[in-house]
Amino acid sequence: MKNLKILIAILIFPSLFVVTNSCKDKKVKKNTTTVVANNSGNLSVGWAQVDITPDKPVLISGQFHARVSEGVMDPVTATVLALESGNGESSEKIFLISCDLVSISDGTRDNAKDNLRSTIREKISRKIPEVSPEKIIINATHTHTAPYCHTASSAKELYGVDLDVMSPAECIQFVSDKISEAAEQAWKNRTLGGISYGLGHAVVGHNRLQVDFSEKSVMYGNTNRKDFSHIEGYEDHSVNLLYTWDNQNNLTGVLINVACPSQVTEGLYQISADFWHDTRVEIRKRLGENIFILPQCSAAGDQSPHIMIGEKAEARMQKMMFPDLKDVGDRTLGLRKDIAVRIADAVTSVLPYMENSINRNPTLKHKLEVVELSRRLIGPEDVIQGNKEAEKWEEEYIQLLKEIQKTPALKEQPKWYTQITIAHTKMRRGKSVKDRYELEKVQSKMPIEVHMLRIGDIVMATNPFEYYLDYGVRIKARSPATQTFLVQLTGSGSYVPTTRSIEGGAYGAVPASTLIGPEGGQELVEKTLEMINDIMEQ
Amino acid sequence: MKTKITKGGWNAFLNAVLSIFILTLSTHLHAKELNIGTATADITPALPVAVCGQFNLRIAETIETPLTANVLVLESSESNKTLDLAIMVSCDLVGIPNELVKKIRAEVQKQIPGLDGEKIFLNATHTHTAPVLENGPESNFRYPIPKEGVLQVEEYQNFFVQRVADAIIKAWENRSSGSVSWGLSHAAIAYNRRVVYSEKAKKPGQFSNGTAQMYGNTNTPDFMNLEGIEDHDVNMLFFWDSTDKLVAMTINVPCPSQEVEHRLAVNADFWHPVRESLKQRFGPQLCVLGWTGASGDQSPRPMYRKAAEERMLKLRNLSRMEEIARRIVLAVEETYETVKKDRYTDVELAHKVEILPLPMRKVTEKEYLFSKSERDKYKAQIDANPEAAKQVLTSMTWNADVLKRYEIQQKNPDAKLETEVHILRIGDIAICTNQFELFTDYGLRIQARSAALQTFVIQLAGPGTYLPTKKAVNGGGYSAIIQSSPVGPIGGQILVDSTVSIINQLFSGK
Repeated sequence: MKNLKILIAILIFPSLFVVTNSCKDKKVKKNTTTVVANNSGNLSVGWAQVDITPDKPVLISGQFHARVSEGVMDPVTATVLALESGNGESSEKIFLISCDLVSISDGTRDNAKDNLRSTIREKISRKIPEVSPEKIIINATHTHTAPYCHTASSAKELYGVDLDVMSPAECIQFVSDKISEAAEQAWKNRTLGGISYGLGHAVVGHNRLQVDFSEKSVMYGNTNRKDFSHIEGYEDHSVNLLYTWDNQNNLTGVLINVACPSQVTEGLYQISADFWHDTRVEIRKRLGENIFILPQCSAAGDQSPHIMIGEKAEARMQKMMFPDLKDVGDRTLGLRKDIAVRIADAVTSVLPYMENSINRNPTLKHKLEVVELSRRLIGPEDVIQGNKEAEKWEEEYIQLLKEIQKTPALKEQPKWYTQITIAHTKMRRGKSVKDRYELEKVQSKMPIEVHMLRIGDIVMATNPFEYYLDYGVRIKARSPATQTFLVQLTGSGSYVPTTRSIEGGAYGAVPASTLIGPEGGQELVEKTLEMINDIMEQ
Repeated sequence: MKTKITKGGWNAFLNAVLSIFILTLSTHLHAKELNIGTATADITPALPVAVCGQFNLRIAETIETPLTANVLVLESSESNKTLDLAIMVSCDLVGIPNELVKKIRAEVQKQIPGLDGEKIFLNATHTHTAPVLENGPESNFRYPIPKEGVLQVEEYQNFFVQRVADAIIKAWENRSSGSVSWGLSHAAIAYNRRVVYSEKAKKPGQFSNGTAQMYGNTNTPDFMNLEGIEDHDVNMLFFWDSTDKLVAMTINVPCPSQEVEHRLAVNADFWHPVRESLKQRFGPQLCVLGWTGASGDQSPRPMYRKAAEERMLKLRNLSRMEEIARRIVLAVEETYETVKKDRYTDVELAHKVEILPLPMRKVTEKEYLFSKSERDKYKAQIDANPEAAKQVLTSMTWNADVLKRYEIQQKNPDAKLETEVHILRIGDIAICTNQFELFTDYGLRIQARSAALQTFVIQLAGPGTYLPTKKAVNGGGYSAIIQSSPVGPIGGQILVDSTVSIINQLFSGK
């Protein structure tokens, strides 16, 4: 019934709506009227999607402990949208690539040149020489059940134990090969087309930080307790949408920007694209199998799809909506499918108004700047704390390692590596505080890439972080663009908490979790707005 | 014990037949039944009339939509004996003065002797384009309403009391056995309207004595964040009669109905198009109760991304009010389709009415002196120019009220505000009322700790006044300052704890 919402709305709002097509109509190729090809514009649009699921076990990225993949729940993919305005060498060419990955390694953390972002760009530019690497914008959906793409040549390098998996470095090669092939395909596929944009709403992301009466915050705390005071910050339930059309007025794809990372079933040991998989399925069910869907995550470092209050009621609704599902509630397929319906509803409720507002000749401008942001300064006390943590976990790690060496049969047990890899990760995390302390002495600023893309009256602005939502609201509130699509995780990640979150002290706001603090966060707000103003004035 | 009357994927015809059959069967098998009665009263005032909700006096000269009071009677009975009952009235008003509730109860009891009048509660949708309901000399928000040429407050009060009492009696008399279901959906309606700025932007003044400002400008470099969260849940109850006809629904939206709050007109705001749309969909018999969830810090006005919202309105050819209605109706429709087969007949119905003594918010000497100077300032303006009263009499009385509270506090430092709350259990869900414009965080605290599957928080089931959180009091600004709130965060938490405790008692034997 969900996919009939628009139709129902039309039935019950006859006096309010002027609708020419229901969403269901969109599935049908326009064969009732003769559509004359519209070749008046100069925008070319090309799409491709590729499966980036490795066919061997891999490390799954996103938790403290290692996870060796135990099969595939659904494929992880990359979707490429190639846009070109004009022709020839002087044309503006842009690639937007969305990946079902936890992040896009960019060398920020390890200075590695053969990181995922550089490797993808290099391979695409090799295949399509007329496209400069800096015109390629790659974002992650932040699914926590995707292959770990890292420059490490072995699992041991990351987790301190040998695991029989495709190495993270091999994953980079595998994924970048696939994505560059898709980019080439999208580039070849491009045809004259147009875009239209709109704003919908879907309750997807929830602020995941809870504050108690002592004003301390905790991530994913229990809200059913006497000293629960409030949810720390805000939520943004808007959905920014960009639709693409061919020159026959057929919908070809939709870019969907939601302020929520894709991590409902984040603890799985199976490969999965999380709720974006279900969303793609739902939208294609409604609009056709050939529709491309490019997901973006807006500023949402403090958000997640997990239910903070009212899980029992949500679970009951899911059970009735999807009676065949066994698992409902938070962290289940039920929630993923529910989210998919909500996002698809946003897409289809705006769609009827998009066909009449197609722009075939939008201003397409792109600018990339390397912006230097103030690092979150680590103090000597942070180093002491970090070292303490490191020592504690190193001791644990060594102890567990000895036990495994002494009793190799332990490796026969399922997921034998969980505790030791937690210890190893926490040890590394603690040690990294000192490394950062030393780095900041010589390099107080951190360079990051910021892409600014104007498409007609809308703008897209990127950042490599898990950027807290308040920063995004600051940018959106002050942006002169009609709609501002913020795209986080176009790089390696790292939380950028606000002052109010640092005061709360939850995971995500502590020094070990953050390379940039409120000072750098606000610098990025100002720089982003400066670039938006500049590109919108042109 | 609750009896589920249908389940499964029958086609519509078989489903209806089966429903009637099982409903009939269940009536015989289970003596306890749920009786449902509905009625709607037209409470549209005669014109011209002073409308309530802004500081300036507004005389409405036109009626844009009717105002209604929608009544839902629920009675749990066994062998024709009432086990418990609830009479709920949702009104297109800004608030519900206690005095009017008393009069309605008395009027109803005159007609139905033996009916427990305490089981009646009224809530306001908080439309700001409805008549002024109290304006006596002791009013803490008094308008200079002309003595002639406009509808007098007392006249409207009498009209309102009679209309609502008649509707309650009608609903009571037409009650008959039926079924209920409940559901949850979402609609992005409310925006948190309290804007927080950086410390350097702190400005002193009547409203902005801190870093927060209601309806502040977000398009400025000093903008830090919106102070609190928004609750986009929509809790719903659906009621069917014994012939399977949908006769009533309650829709709990944590957002006051004040999209057209500045108009010089009578208007029920967004609940009017919601009701009209739902009646078109489900039939004219449908009685819709709009319940405003905890949302003292919310409003339907966008606080940012305004250009994008405006553009979408133009594309859809809708006003903002119609767009809000569209979103609510979609949420209702989606939920109805999901839960309509999960209906119950003899659900547990329990209704507790309690008077909670909440500590008054302490007035500091500084606040007292500031309020006094403000009172004197406005009084001087009126003395110099009586016409100024149209703009500032409310401000004068609003500040004068702080002085009264301070004087009470001097005599009795532990002074309490006695407030009536209603706590209901209907099957797996709970309903709890409060008289305030309750900040959202309090509602979430109640919902997070409630043992019920769904918890419907109904604010403004009484005369109103903001109840801000500690965070808001620290931020200052209108709605959090002393003039706005006779009860503060301490009283707010007592309200939460007491409400949760009563809800959980009702569910303890589940």
